[in-house]
Amino acid sequence: MSDATQTDERIKDISRLRKTLIRPELGGIVGTIAVFTFFLLFAFDSGMFNAQGVMNWTVVSAQFVIIAVGACLLMISGEFDLSVGSMIGFAGMMIAIFGVTLDWPMWSAILITFAICIAFGALNGYIVVRTGLPSFIVTLATLFILRGFTIFIPQTLERKTIIGGIREAAEGDWLAPVFGSKIFGGLFQWLGDMGVIGTFTRGNRTGEPVVDGIPMLIIWALLLVAFGHILLTRTRFGNWIFASGGDADAARNSGVPVNKVKILMFMFTAFCATVFATCQVMEFGSAGADRGLLKEFEAIIAVVIGGALLTGGYGSVIGAALGALIFGVVQQGLFFAGVESSLFRVFLGVILLFAVILNTYIRRIITGER
Amino acid sequence: MTSILKNIALAATVATTALLGTTAAQAEGEKYILVSHAPDSDSWWNTIKNGIALAGEQMDVEVEYRNPPTGDLADMARIIEQAAASQPDGIITTLADFDVLSGPIRAAVDQGINVIIMNSGTPEQVREVGALMFVGQPEYDAGYAAGLRAKGDGIGSFVCVNHVISNTVVAERCRGFADGLGVDLGSQMIDSGQDPAEIKNRVTAYLTANPETDAILTLGPTSADPTIAAVKEMGIAGDIYFGTFDLGTEIVNGIKDGTINWGIDQQPFLQAYLPVVVLTNYDRYGVLPGNNINSGPGFVTKDALGKVEEFAGQYR
Amino acid sequence: MSEPIIRMKDIEKHFGSVIALAGVSVDVFAGECHCLLGDNGAGKSTFIKTMSGVHKPTKGEIIFEGKPLDFADPRDAIAAGIATVHQHLAMIPLMSVSRNFFMGNEPIKKVAGLRFFDHDYANRVTMEEMKKMGINLRGPDQAVGTLSGGERQTVAIARAVHFGAKVLILDEPTSALGVRQTSNVLATVDKVRKAGIGVVFITHNVRHAMAVGDRFTVLNRGQTLGTATRGEITPEELQDMMAGGQELATLEGSLGGTV
Repeated sequence: MSDATQTDERIKDISRLRKTLIRPELGGIVGTIAVFTFFLLFAFDSGMFNAQGVMNWTVVSAQFVIIAVGACLLMISGEFDLSVGSMIGFAGMMIAIFGVTLDWPMWSAILITFAICIAFGALNGYIVVRTGLPSFIVTLATLFILRGFTIFIPQTLERKTIIGGIREAAEGDWLAPVFGSKIFGGLFQWLGDMGVIGTFTRGNRTGEPVVDGIPMLIIWALLLVAFGHILLTRTRFGNWIFASGGDADAARNSGVPVNKVKILMFMFTAFCATVFATCQVMEFGSAGADRGLLKEFEAIIAVVIGGALLTGGYGSVIGAALGALIFGVVQQGLFFAGVESSLFRVFLGVILLFAVILNTYIRRIITGER
Repeated sequence: MTSILKNIALAATVATTALLGTTAAQAEGEKYILVSHAPDSDSWWNTIKNGIALAGEQMDVEVEYRNPPTGDLADMARIIEQAAASQPDGIITTLADFDVLSGPIRAAVDQGINVIIMNSGTPEQVREVGALMFVGQPEYDAGYAAGLRAKGDGIGSFVCVNHVISNTVVAERCRGFADGLGVDLGSQMIDSGQDPAEIKNRVTAYLTANPETDAILTLGPTSADPTIAAVKEMGIAGDIYFGTFDLGTEIVNGIKDGTINWGIDQQPFLQAYLPVVVLTNYDRYGVLPGNNINSGPGFVTKDALGKVEEFAGQYR
Repeated sequence: MSEPIIRMKDIEKHFGSVIALAGVSVDVFAGECHCLLGDNGAGKSTFIKTMSGVHKPTKGEIIFEGKPLDFADPRDAIAAGIATVHQHLAMIPLMSVSRNFFMGNEPIKKVAGLRFFDHDYANRVTMEEMKKMGINLRGPDQAVGTLSGGERQTVAIARAVHFGAKVLILDEPTSALGVRQTSNVLATVDKVRKAGIGVVFITHNVRHAMAVGDRFTVLNRGQTLGTATRGEITPEELQDMMAGGQELATLEGSLGGTV
């Protein structure tokens, strides 16, 4: 086997260091370090790194993480979901309709909303695998359909497009705190008393810390990353996700139930969007018809910064989470650094471009694609 | 790879230092942040930007403008939280949705940051969040006044072209107008979206389907400009009674050529300029006006267009 | 070697008015390499798709290990032990060798009642199997995309063998390969045959067929032109039969017998 030994020789010139460095998350890791270095240099004393500032960009990043995990797994399985943003608006509105307008108990409003949204996700997936149409088009249609309902239903029922009073309706409910509450309040109160984090100086919350706990939003983000990462790398199903996106025909030939995998991933994406929406309405207490605009692109951008391949079959949940962190930190950090806010998109574009170039380079080394 | 990274780092640093230089070196004095609810595409807020820039220059303070790029109010809440974290001397913000924004605003107030509500909000809500004052146009009252005026001109039915259907405060204008006319709003408010071509087509479609409509009420330049085009194209410009909220270059031209009967000026310049002046003087000398400031409504008709025309879209 | 593993008897396949196969009979014994030769459009693809359960024959009989068989879909064929290595390989370049090797047959280990992909087992088996085939991988996590075409074929063949193939259908495995890689694949075929598996080797290259084939069947325009045993036939005769006789004979003169 002369060829084999020769291949071996050619491969050996990749050094051990380089081998350990070259992994799908590398782009995300490099980007995260670069972004934090940058803001530590330019915005250190701007409030970005006090407790309140940290909580601010952490929450924003956690929001991106929640939808990025779903988008990441779906993208690896070879499909897109452009209806994520509309789904967020729709889910929030459904909770408001059931929980406030129809006055159902909040837990049932949340559960029925999850059921409806996941069913829409399944429908997206079913149409994509049945018709063979690009998911881009199918979910673009869903984007409009859901957004339309999100405006039409409350206008018909309530004559307005923002429905408030969700916080009040959720009071005493057992399920709502899973999405809307904060935990470790005692610890933060203690930190506030110790003077580690600032406290309110006036009003009826005087003496309470300005950051009074970890929002469940962040817990959800961490859980979803852990779940997504383990599912993708450590289970049989994860292998099927890679296979479905890498080459659906080859996967089918090897007995992978590609259609089932894709439909399930659409459902998971819808689940993530609904988690996002539920956390949002529980925190802010109202659902609006314009919630979640363009969030689908933000999710896709985070995933791509995190090193996933737009055409499927390659990517990492950890990478996507880092991409979301970069996105969130940059979005909020630019404000802290005092950069003109209209230039945010310029930075976003530049980061996206650099991330994609870097990730393409890394991926070529790993996979030998040309 | 290392060379690529180096280049990236270098380019990014150079670019940002250049940008930082322009804003950071501006003023040593007080720092204020204005947070709006408007998406990037809303041109009306340009007057606000000019207003805070002028006030910042005159008072020698630093004023930053921030907004949620897509107009998502949940994103706006995050921006207010973030503005509070950066510990400015004061925050000027709108209260477009009380449920979403009251929490972050109250938290900022409780941290010792002075807040003035501008543009959107009611006096009760402003008191409730603990803001110093409200500078703006009471929307329902403005709409009601306009409705009374239209009723005097013999109007019985209208269509309200709403380009920010999600903003409940702006919708109050339509409600006030309907109440001023003494008719039921019903389905006379249409959701036009933000895209000029769509707005134009929807207005045309509505007027074609409901030819007996007496009047058009648009809620700002975003909906007024395409509506002007629509009525001109349909050949009913000057025929149909046309009132609008807010001013802009096209609206001023419309008033001049008779397409538009009147524009209600809420004088956004004052909504941006006055809070900066009030906050600065409050911080420096502890003086504060005793009540909310109504920046509008002021009816602008063909007879009083001189200054308006000169500064339309800039300060008017 | 008294009874063939699989016997295809008078297989006919019609697609509408087109007769793709007009009565083809082929049988394969364990441990032999049966070469199926034919020019483009001769019906080779249709025939192996029939054999692997993708198509149902319009007429004719498939007898597998002495029993008549009726495959509903390819999975039945795979379950019975008929594995196909396709021209477009069932390999995903972006995935690692071990993930590819176990695609669709992932080993499971249970941790706290949950079912996880057993990477240790998968990696170990992959390395062992690849070593048996004479390929030294950098590691089991090496992506298939970094392998040469010949190596990919070998991975695909090793995978089929590992998962218990009794009949291995190779669809033009050498058509896109260079000289050295071709010889590697042919060596792999030889190993598989010696392990007692019946190989069906589809090709239109007579040299490759002669190198490993025990028996040769030529297909032309949907019909068999007979089966010959090694030594009974010369490469030139095979070439002529594939081309349908005379036309190529005249052409061959001018090309100096190089085709």
